[in-house]
Amino acid sequence: MTADNGAATAGAAPVTGPAAGTGVIHDLGYQHYDGPRLGRAAIIRALYWHSLRSAFGIGRGAKAKIVPILAFGLMCLPAIANAVAVATSSGHARIVDYDTYTYPLRTLVMLIFVAAQAPELVSRDLRSHVLPLYYSRPLRRHDYPLAKYTAFTVACLLLVEIPLIILYLGTIISVSGGSAVWGQTRALIPGLGVAALWAVLLAAIGLVLASFTGRRAYATGLIAIYFFLTWILAKLLVGIAQNGAAPGPGGLVAGVPLGARLPGLISPFTVVDGVRQWLGGTNPGPIPNPGSAGVAYGLMFVLLLGVSLGGLAARYRKVGAS
Amino acid sequence: MTAPPQLRAGPDPGDAGTAAAVIQTEALTKRYTSEVTALDGLTVAIAPGITGLVGANGAGKSTLIKIMLGLLPPTSGRAVVLGHNVAASGERIRTLTGYMPEHDCLPPDVTGTEFVTHLGRMSGLPATAAKERAAESLRHVGLYEERYRQVGTYSTGMKQRVKLAQALVGDPRLLLLDEPTIGLDPAGRRSMLDLISRIGTEFGISIVVSSHLLGEIEQICDQLVVIDGGRLLRSDTMTSFTQMSQVLLIEVDEGAAELAAELAARGLEPRRSGRGLLVRIDGERTHDTVRDAVADLGLPLNRLAQQRRRVEELFRDNGDEEEERGDG
Repeated sequence: MTADNGAATAGAAPVTGPAAGTGVIHDLGYQHYDGPRLGRAAIIRALYWHSLRSAFGIGRGAKAKIVPILAFGLMCLPAIANAVAVATSSGHARIVDYDTYTYPLRTLVMLIFVAAQAPELVSRDLRSHVLPLYYSRPLRRHDYPLAKYTAFTVACLLLVEIPLIILYLGTIISVSGGSAVWGQTRALIPGLGVAALWAVLLAAIGLVLASFTGRRAYATGLIAIYFFLTWILAKLLVGIAQNGAAPGPGGLVAGVPLGARLPGLISPFTVVDGVRQWLGGTNPGPIPNPGSAGVAYGLMFVLLLGVSLGGLAARYRKVGAS
Repeated sequence: MTAPPQLRAGPDPGDAGTAAAVIQTEALTKRYTSEVTALDGLTVAIAPGITGLVGANGAGKSTLIKIMLGLLPPTSGRAVVLGHNVAASGERIRTLTGYMPEHDCLPPDVTGTEFVTHLGRMSGLPATAAKERAAESLRHVGLYEERYRQVGTYSTGMKQRVKLAQALVGDPRLLLLDEPTIGLDPAGRRSMLDLISRIGTEFGISIVVSSHLLGEIEQICDQLVVIDGGRLLRSDTMTSFTQMSQVLLIEVDEGAAELAAELAARGLEPRRSGRGLLVRIDGERTHDTVRDAVADLGLPLNRLAQQRRRVEELFRDNGDEEEERGDG
């Protein structure tokens, strides 16, 4: 290769190539880079970090930060309210549960956050056709969706877990005694687990839906409509089934008809709650306890996650070759 | 599924020629479907320097570039880039290669600096080095204060320069530029070609530059590879292309048609070009033949000049007497 000759400036060596006639002489010569070159893993990490920042609008204009800040503020409200309540009330009882964490609010906030920010991670790159620039670099085909999914999952995790930590800290500040703190810690851990289920599933669904289109507005609409309609439908069907069964004299849990236990499979939000109850969560959620149908929620969770991630991988396999 | 196994390929045996060649292909074929064949048994060797990859739209230029980046697996045949087999070492090749796509690939809402820095990191540069190299690359392509502006506010020429800067940021040994002058006005094309020429000669980076306008890139190339319908039409150094492109321009005030007939009778192949006739120079004899023909017919000779036809004209059909010149 002639790479070493390249450091010479035009003025230093007689140029015999086609540039000789242009008469352009640059005193600032080209410097070759001989520093370290990072491997694929480091590049994926850099892309992950870049994507995580953009999920919160960091490194973008002020407008890009509105939704993330709003979502985070809303999500923290119950935890802050709890801290105030625990500190001022005499009983020092926690008013918000770790595992369900005011699920209507959490559902709403996650719906808005995922619908607004998943397109930020993937639709922008599709819109500006920037992907060939990624794929002409050392990255392999699945590295891009992998970095994006990891980043968005972590973004969702931060959004659902940090309020839980605030909830925990706000509670243990006021309680006294090691056993009380231990009790709170033991209640927090499954709560963190449930929140992780939210993040892992919603990030995958959000990204795969957003990756269908380069138009941000369409992507946001698609995600919002999917989340909202399935949620409404699931709640509606559960309500109808429960109303139909209401006159019956059955027990509280055993009396839940099958028709009320299955509609939760429709919406990702109720699937996550079904899994929570199946794994032993007892606090009331958006759907009745699925009981024996609990395993169906587990399978549905795996299916939704698998289809979403598989779809994401397939989407970028195609883009990479085109 | 389609990704080739990432074997660590050593130097390929039996590649004595690849030491000199930057790119070498052997019977390279790419079929998209049974009907669509983008490349058809292409065998070519590309030496260091600036190489023009020329062909009409759909001739297979972009497909060839994607195969060389290891992004598309060839249907059959093989390709070696910088000593690495594309089937096995795509990742390594992409570390050493910068690619400038043909189409628009810039997000509008980031600054030139941010964009090139990010892609520098994607090329494997550490954070600080990526910043420095991005500033350097943007300076080399002629973007200074503009680099702090959002890409969406750039002119077409500036956008092309950013695309070139991102290809340059990782300090590649080979640049693959797909139609870098597309969409530019004549002045913009001129300065883009100057820039490419400078990168190739002063920076010591080998360049493959594709274009459907032969007349345009022949000015800056050391070598030309002409493909048509996925097949190699011709591959040679500019010097030998130039040798076969020496022509004699004859202008007479009247009787051009008679002269053409007379020259044809004497074994030359005259072609009309504007008001004059062009004949290919085949040694000293050509001048004598022309002189004798003009004298015998008693025509008023206005101009007799030796010219270098543009290489582009070599590929035109002989019967095709185009009055209109492309650009110049």
